[in-house]
Amino acid sequence: MSTARPCLAQLSRICLYSNRPGITSVPARSLSTTAAVAARGPNAPKILSKADKGLRKASTNPQKNKKKGEEVKKKKKARTAYKQYDQRELEQFTLLDAMRYIRAFEVGQKPTSVKYEMAVRFKSQKNGPVVRNRLRLPHPVKTDVRICVICPPDSKYAEQAKSAGASLVGEEEIFEAVKDGKIEFDRCICQTDSLDKMNKAGLGRVLGPRGLMPSTKLGTVVKDPAAVLKDLVGGAEYRERMGVVRMAIGQLGFTPEEMQRNIKTFIDHIKKDLAHLSDRINKELSEVVLSSTNSPGFPLSGQFTKLDSSITSRDLSTS
Amino acid sequence: MPSIVKRMRALRAQLLAVRLGPGAAILPPEVTRIHMNFAIGVEDGHYGSRKFWRNCLPRLKYHNPAIPMTVSRTADQLGPALMTVHFISAAEAASTKPEISSTTSKHTSTGPVPESKAGSSTQRTETINMKHREESEILEQLLKLTRAKVVTPTPEETRQIREMEEQNARSARDAAMMQAENAKRKREEEILRQARGTIDTN
Repeated sequence: MSTARPCLAQLSRICLYSNRPGITSVPARSLSTTAAVAARGPNAPKILSKADKGLRKASTNPQKNKKKGEEVKKKKKARTAYKQYDQRELEQFTLLDAMRYIRAFEVGQKPTSVKYEMAVRFKSQKNGPVVRNRLRLPHPVKTDVRICVICPPDSKYAEQAKSAGASLVGEEEIFEAVKDGKIEFDRCICQTDSLDKMNKAGLGRVLGPRGLMPSTKLGTVVKDPAAVLKDLVGGAEYRERMGVVRMAIGQLGFTPEEMQRNIKTFIDHIKKDLAHLSDRINKELSEVVLSSTNSPGFPLSGQFTKLDSSITSRDLSTS
Repeated sequence: MPSIVKRMRALRAQLLAVRLGPGAAILPPEVTRIHMNFAIGVEDGHYGSRKFWRNCLPRLKYHNPAIPMTVSRTADQLGPALMTVHFISAAEAASTKPEISSTTSKHTSTGPVPESKAGSSTQRTETINMKHREESEILEQLLKLTRAKVVTPTPEETRQIREMEEQNARSARDAAMMQAENAKRKREEEILRQARGTIDTN
């Protein structure tokens, strides 16, 4: 061992200089550590590969750091709930203040193309059921939803669905189109009798990831599609992702009163959903944020306006 | 959502920027509408008008929430770049209130608001030529034309601005320090890697 060390060190130095003659300021310390590691004889390659792994994390002394890193890993436990922050730092806005800022950020945009968005954050566990539902806002945000109804094209359901505003009605043609990748709809409803056919057609692989696959659980497999259609046109879906529900809540051209009604309906709906979850699951609202297409998010305080506020809702009602 | 402190710091900076700066001015009640008309691209002198829209117009809108400010951009790059300011007389301004409009009602157009829409309450219009003008020149002309009152920061806001600047200076210093540190670490790692590589091949 003692004889091998100087020999190898010399060797490595020779190789280094022959490969990269340009390097002039190679620290002697780093070189010597390499040499020491390399000088362990037959074990050398194995240790080196481990050291390489540790090296990716950090720093000059790989072995020491590797040990430290492993210890930290063992101690760290995965979080079971979504992280909550100290709410004292949170600045909250009244609806009118938030809308005044948002309208300033969105100045000069088309009033129908820009949307107010709402993000509702929960205190919640990472596993367990999520809040997921559909609602109809008093003032719908998006009115041009394309809906596809899967039912036999010559049945009475087809006629009703078409008259209720479905853009696509049929069975085989739709299956073929979907398999070809032509998905020309935003929602999909299936009539109960056609469910077996649809399941056989194997649409799940295409529609599933897009969230379009009809299922009984979501209430998109129904006896009478026409009745559901009426709800869907002008209705909106929301679901919790990573402890937050996000949804478009209004167009930029809405007045504060209209926005107030929409927000109230939405929050009430979510609270009802939370109450319907089973008793063991404890979910609470922790934050409600209003933002828009091009503006930052404004945490809402729940008030419409402050008493000493200088702006009125009429000021924010102009185009 | 990122942590609250981070979010609030970013939000405060953005809100300060929309409250104060070039364009923060209160227009007199005689002004009923501002309309900008220019091309989509920046060639042929449309640069300043877009800059004005992006930077100054939000501040104007914040301090005058009731005044409709519309922007319509055309594909005609060689066309004019004009700002139209609509006025009514001072007596009428005191009595009439802005018309309520909402996109929930059906008669609101979805496209750019047509010139004629503000017709009824407007008595005279003035135009500012924005072509080949810097945003600061456009703003200066607008302020002179409307005799607007420029908003100055309150003591509270000055304090916030100072705090923000201190914070920025601190973070810039820390970033520089960390960058140097990381560069040093990477350099050492690289040297180690090279030394090992040459031994392996032997």
